[in-house]
Amino acid sequence: MSPDWMEAAVVLENRFVKRWKAAGKKVVGYTCSYLPDEVFHAAGILPYRLRGYGTEECTIGDTYFGPFICSLPKCMLQLAGEGRFRFLDGAIITPGCDSMRRLDECWRKAGDDHPGIVPGFFFHFAVPHKFSDYTVHWFADEIRRLIAAVEAHFEVAISADRLRDAIRVYNRGRELLRELERLRTLPEPPITGTDALAVVLAGTAMARDVYNDRLAAFLAEPSPEPPAHRGRIRLMLVGSANDDVELVRLVEGDRALVVADNLCFSARCHLDPVPEDGDPVEALAQSYLRKNECPRMYGQYQGRLELLRAKIRSARVDGVVMQNIRFCDLHGAENGLFERDLEAEGVPCLRVEREYGALVEKGRLKMRVDAFLERIAHRREVCA
Amino acid sequence: MRQATREYHFDRMLWSAFDTAAKLSRGSEKEYRTTLKYIPYFRGVVDALLQPGEPGREFLRVCARYFENVVTARERGRKTAITTFCFSPTILYAFDVVPVCLEVISAMMCLAYRRGTGEFLDYCNEVGFTETSCSSQRGALGGFLAGLGSEIDLVLTDTPGVCDTNANAFAFAAAYLHKPFFQLDYPPVLVDGRSDTYHREDYRALIRFLEEHTGKQLDVDRLRAVLTEVQAQDEMIAELDELARCVPNPLPVSFNLMLYAGRFLFAGMPECTHLLESMVRMARRNAELGRSGLASGTENARAFFCYIDHYAQDLRLWQMLDELGIGYVGNILSRHWGATAPYVRELGKQDAAYSIDTTGLDTMIDSIAALNSRMPMVKSIRGPYDAPNMWLEDTLALAKMYAADFIVYNGTPGCRNTWGMVKLFARDTEKAGFPTHIMNGDAFDERVQSWEATRERFEEFIRVRRILR
Repeated sequence: MSPDWMEAAVVLENRFVKRWKAAGKKVVGYTCSYLPDEVFHAAGILPYRLRGYGTEECTIGDTYFGPFICSLPKCMLQLAGEGRFRFLDGAIITPGCDSMRRLDECWRKAGDDHPGIVPGFFFHFAVPHKFSDYTVHWFADEIRRLIAAVEAHFEVAISADRLRDAIRVYNRGRELLRELERLRTLPEPPITGTDALAVVLAGTAMARDVYNDRLAAFLAEPSPEPPAHRGRIRLMLVGSANDDVELVRLVEGDRALVVADNLCFSARCHLDPVPEDGDPVEALAQSYLRKNECPRMYGQYQGRLELLRAKIRSARVDGVVMQNIRFCDLHGAENGLFERDLEAEGVPCLRVEREYGALVEKGRLKMRVDAFLERIAHRREVCA
Repeated sequence: MRQATREYHFDRMLWSAFDTAAKLSRGSEKEYRTTLKYIPYFRGVVDALLQPGEPGREFLRVCARYFENVVTARERGRKTAITTFCFSPTILYAFDVVPVCLEVISAMMCLAYRRGTGEFLDYCNEVGFTETSCSSQRGALGGFLAGLGSEIDLVLTDTPGVCDTNANAFAFAAAYLHKPFFQLDYPPVLVDGRSDTYHREDYRALIRFLEEHTGKQLDVDRLRAVLTEVQAQDEMIAELDELARCVPNPLPVSFNLMLYAGRFLFAGMPECTHLLESMVRMARRNAELGRSGLASGTENARAFFCYIDHYAQDLRLWQMLDELGIGYVGNILSRHWGATAPYVRELGKQDAAYSIDTTGLDTMIDSIAALNSRMPMVKSIRGPYDAPNMWLEDTLALAKMYAADFIVYNGTPGCRNTWGMVKLFARDTEKAGFPTHIMNGDAFDERVQSWEATRERFEEFIRVRRILR
């Protein structure tokens, strides 16, 4: 696999971002997959998914957030406070959850003490928590409000035609990512879960048309023969946001393979095509709000359980690793329900809580995963 | 969970406890004192509530009546719905559905039992709900998840986007218990045309949901009756809010708790009206006599609580304030944002308030949608804390209007929403001239921080900041 993927996945201001900025173009960061990237692509702006990757301490994050808060937004604030997001021309905060929406105030107020860390364009973008006719209508208006703000601040025009072009570009990317996901489910997948996450992450920090070309070329590469992962235990990884390839690497080790997932930052956010005809804003509102992979869409547990069941079947999953970042109650609680229902159906499940960031609990996590793999291996022996 | 806890339904036990407590004052003083010996823990609460006289008795009756409704709902052919404190029960009474308000029940368990809700809190974790979730829902919820409460028919919440931890508890309950679920969802901005439209459409969806799951059409006359009752209640709350501005404050410290609990349980119903009437009578009498509501009669300082109170365990927060001579001028739970509220008038916040129009069905639905969107927390903690009409603006305006000497934050560690920015909030209130104390305990779980430690920190703050006059 090309090292470009991994660089884009683990370096915040990677060479693609630098090249973009060197061309005099703008970059806007955002926190949530419910934000339609197409709006920025249509404006000639690079949409950049904000992350907390690479933090080495959390002194700034802890100064503004309270103690009982998820470490992901804290790490994002830490990076912002350290000036590592200075390449951003804008930032958009979305109420994905309580902790994440408070990044809005914490970042702004940290800017009083750390001058220059708040980008010139700073926008609170709301997303309803359910899908129905009036929520889609409201959400379409919210997208129009965003478009107007972007046009005014960056002095650009985002026409319907440009939005349709952007939708087409992103749909091409979605098609390619679906193919990547399909390859992962094969009996002998040509790619590890670690590498697959790197490929997907790269797409959040790279211009989409460039990304599409690279991804198409990557998918056209011949698979290694014989496959290197034969016989490994096939896992699905679900739960809180994860943008750390090292976490997947730790889970996989040399005995397992993550063949499916349901994670924010994973391919799940980029699979469903957006209609290319009709009003593009309405199409974006419909398509993005319809997504039901995240427990922020309350009352839709059964739908998400069905999603996991379908992935377990199609990827022939041996076990499910459910992780949540401490204080992430949404995923933590839903993992509890998944565990109850999937175990009852005979699917081995492992629930673990962790902190976001530099795998400070590597030993504990590794021990839990190893024990889980032993359980599955024993089950395989018994069944055989 | 101990076997003993599994022996009886906890809501029936609470009904029994509050019902007995409500009857205590009917006997002689000797009978009363003798009975207190048999409730060594609950006696402190009962005694404290009955001290102010009629309002305390009425409050105990209201609590008993509430549990009676919950426990007997099925045999009387009524549906039950788990709800949250910031979801006005008015619409449920219009549908003859019994609201089962998790947070208030959790608080009542803390008042009644030394053990509080500890075993139920832990039970939630045992069945997969996170230990970091808010204890206010988790306490009572554990009892229902364990099958130790009355049968539940529906699950309703209105906190998505306002308090996701809260909303998540209700979503978990619905999925775990396999019950129909409905959420009212709130945009981050309170006052604008888009939000108004959203509030109205969302509320109409709620009514459709209730009609579907109760098998009843919304009864226009019944809705008009409960809304008319709400109007009368709002008038009385407005009078109490106005009287609280007097120096000395004629309202006993426990009035704040009685006011919001009454409203959360029985808004739009005569039970709440009777409670408020008794409170108004006493407050007027105290005001006419120039008497403080504090037991000592001397007001040394005034506190504004910017969030919630401390219910674990018993009424020690209110008793401490009373002992220290600190007048309590309210918290966000006791504000109703009706158009007649004194702070709405004085602050010129009519656009952020609701008014009730009972002319026709549409005007009533619009009114109740606006009312619900102005409930505590839903109103002022939905958007960025420093945005217009939000937490900081409301807190500073109310603290100033009620001449508070200091501000106190108390919540639960599960409150991601407020703990996400309370440090910034306190920095701003301090800059505005209000000494601000952040309590670290859990309002519903004394195991997080003992009351003794909580009180010591509180008194240290009072001493170091030289609050008392």
